[in-house]
Amino acid sequence: MTPVDELKESVGVGMGGEYPIHVQQLLPTRRSVDLGEVLARLNSAPVVAPFDPSRMEFVGEVSRRLGRRARGLPETQALAYWMRTSELRRLEESFLELGSEQIILMPRGTVFHIPPANVDTLFVYSWVLSTLVGNRNIVRLSSRATDQSNLIIDTISEVMADHPDVALASSMITYGHDDAISSIISSSCDVRVIWGGDATVNRLRSIPIPAHASELVFADRFSMAAIGIMAYSSLATHERNRLAELFFSDAYWFDQLGCSSARLLLWVGADDPRSCATDFYDRVREVARHKGYVVDTSAAIAKLAQAYGTMIDADVSRYIARDNTLGVLEMASFPDVRGEFCGAGLFYQLHAANLTEIVPHIRRADQTLATFGIADADLRNLVTDLRGRGIDRIVPFGQALQFNRYWDGYDLLAELTRKTTIAVKDVVV
Amino acid sequence: MSRLEISTPSDSSGGGPQSIVLDELFCRPQFSILQAEKEGLLLRELTQMVSLHRTACDPYRRIMDVLEKPHEAYESLAQLPYLPVSLFKTHHLKSVPTEEVFKVMTSSGTTGQAVSRITLDRHTADLQSRALSVVLAHVLGKQRRPMIIIDTPNVVKNRKMFSARGAGVLGMLPFGRQHFYALNDEMELDVIGLREFLNRHSGQPILLFGFTFMVWKYFLQALMESDFSIDLSGGVLIHSGGWKKLADEAVGNAEFKSALEEATGLSRVHNFYGMVEQVGSVFLEGDDGFLYPPNFADVIIRDPLTWEPCANGTPGVVEVLSVLPRSYPGHILLTEDLGVVHGVRDSVGGWAGKQLEILGRVPRSELRGCSDTHAFDRAPA
Repeated sequence: MTPVDELKESVGVGMGGEYPIHVQQLLPTRRSVDLGEVLARLNSAPVVAPFDPSRMEFVGEVSRRLGRRARGLPETQALAYWMRTSELRRLEESFLELGSEQIILMPRGTVFHIPPANVDTLFVYSWVLSTLVGNRNIVRLSSRATDQSNLIIDTISEVMADHPDVALASSMITYGHDDAISSIISSSCDVRVIWGGDATVNRLRSIPIPAHASELVFADRFSMAAIGIMAYSSLATHERNRLAELFFSDAYWFDQLGCSSARLLLWVGADDPRSCATDFYDRVREVARHKGYVVDTSAAIAKLAQAYGTMIDADVSRYIARDNTLGVLEMASFPDVRGEFCGAGLFYQLHAANLTEIVPHIRRADQTLATFGIADADLRNLVTDLRGRGIDRIVPFGQALQFNRYWDGYDLLAELTRKTTIAVKDVVV
Repeated sequence: MSRLEISTPSDSSGGGPQSIVLDELFCRPQFSILQAEKEGLLLRELTQMVSLHRTACDPYRRIMDVLEKPHEAYESLAQLPYLPVSLFKTHHLKSVPTEEVFKVMTSSGTTGQAVSRITLDRHTADLQSRALSVVLAHVLGKQRRPMIIIDTPNVVKNRKMFSARGAGVLGMLPFGRQHFYALNDEMELDVIGLREFLNRHSGQPILLFGFTFMVWKYFLQALMESDFSIDLSGGVLIHSGGWKKLADEAVGNAEFKSALEEATGLSRVHNFYGMVEQVGSVFLEGDDGFLYPPNFADVIIRDPLTWEPCANGTPGVVEVLSVLPRSYPGHILLTEDLGVVHGVRDSVGGWAGKQLEILGRVPRSELRGCSDTHAFDRAPA
């Protein structure tokens, strides 16, 4: 008896569902369902070859409808744009390069996705990629729905009504923190995708998956941004405003709690960065004001506590918080401030004469470096100097949150498919 | 209970030499000092305390060094630097050497949540208990009264249950005598015991103490449902713990008090507001339903957008100031409570000072971000 069977026995359920376990289903349709029924339906769905036209049409249609409804919702707009038909074609082309005459790519089977609670669009990204390559998918969503996530779910649900084959192979459900349910789903998956804090990841990892199954884990990450001081000083006013806007969307879209949103801001160059920095922060505040970004009281208090705590724990030389949308802690040395974070617009500022100065301080958890005004050669040197120890992606300002198939060092399209090799020549006996 | 005694001069307590201002705040009748004069006294004392803690507590010094406040130059209480109260959950802040630590208090907190750790030396512990007694004497008088605790005796007996509730009850016990616990373990009112207690002490002024919600739910409701009528018109009820659960039942202070008076004749009812980070500096409800800071404490309401002080009548985040915390830098704290100061009462004797109303906890934000699939993290261990 495997541990999963034991657990199932102990909670009194079998896969057939003699004792129904009710979960709330959000997709294909919203209703209360028995988990056994969900899994039985899912397992009856055929998998299809990667980039099957039916899946392409489905995703393209979701993109079109979402795009029309996403007015005033920049995160949803970005999502719709990311999965537009022309982009899907490009994705398909680059995917085909993974295969060859001897290597045929096929879906892995059933993928169990556990996205984070609060990035209201993230659950779509890994699900879309997995759907495109032909898998069956079951997604465990947080019960903390937002207007944005509801809009997305309702739109997908509508499109699914016209694509029964995709509907059959897809399920999004929500349930409380119930390890028994997670165990049952895990026991029948081929890939499990976990997003979350370290505690969440460890907790979920202790739930077994079948021996043949694989697991992708997206744990807590830390991200930073770097601005070249020389380059910034030579910008015209409208260019500075544009840079502030790009930084705002990188940092504030998910209340600065997206893993790829910068917390540490490096000013790189020989000169004193203070006048540039002050100028830049004022512009970011102005963007925040213009966009109506509001920090609620609880977040404002949390920011204060985080700032004061950092003054105790790290070398803070100055604290600048003229209003509560943007607070800056000027650091005298590279701080180890990864981990628990308040979000909502608190930045650690560090001056580095040269980008290579940060190399000894980079850790495995460091994910995105968004840059402006730093030479390509310097960035390449940084990556080779790091020898893969940290920083998975370097992007220009404005693209920090732009999801793509390469994430946290994985190629999701490769991880969500299986490579079958075929030797085409007969052996002459 | 002697009230005006100078605290035991423990060899070299963190408080250092006795402060004249502190003595004055203890000696003068509580709630009697007019606001302007009080602010002057507190400013003098708190300015010194900023520099005292700056010398004695390294984490506090590191914060003050960044904030760049020249510590001699504060012109008003609002200019004094405050710490967010949650810093006592994430950091151990103390201003006395380890050998002088008398006890470390911890706040309540649901399982898994971080708790505040408050370090007391004998001097501060003594100041706290003297403060509590002079504040309560203002409404209880100097005699210890027969006391009804609206709780179960297990709240102090059972170690596993030991909690903020238990600590609150323990802290109040010295103000009464012949303690009677009115509830059993099932939170049922012990009607027979209550009747016996009241017969035994008939004609004497009674002290009642309990947590606001329990007084309402397990005492008053139970009395109203039973046909047992009691006369508590000579009693005083002290209660605390917040209105959140009662607000859910649409019960405010006015309803609470009128229902109590109607059912039991109890008309002297005082709510109080206090926290483990500033034990002793309890704000006590005056005759007009507002909470008043005692002599050694004050309150400032801050605007959560700018952190500037709010005008009277405007709700904001509650900052509390107290001259009691000597062994830890908890003298000026930004709490996580919302409140409003309705005005300043300038009456000599009775109740003077800022008229505070507590509006409840700051609601938790629902920030976004990918750092956690919350539901899993909140699961019981």
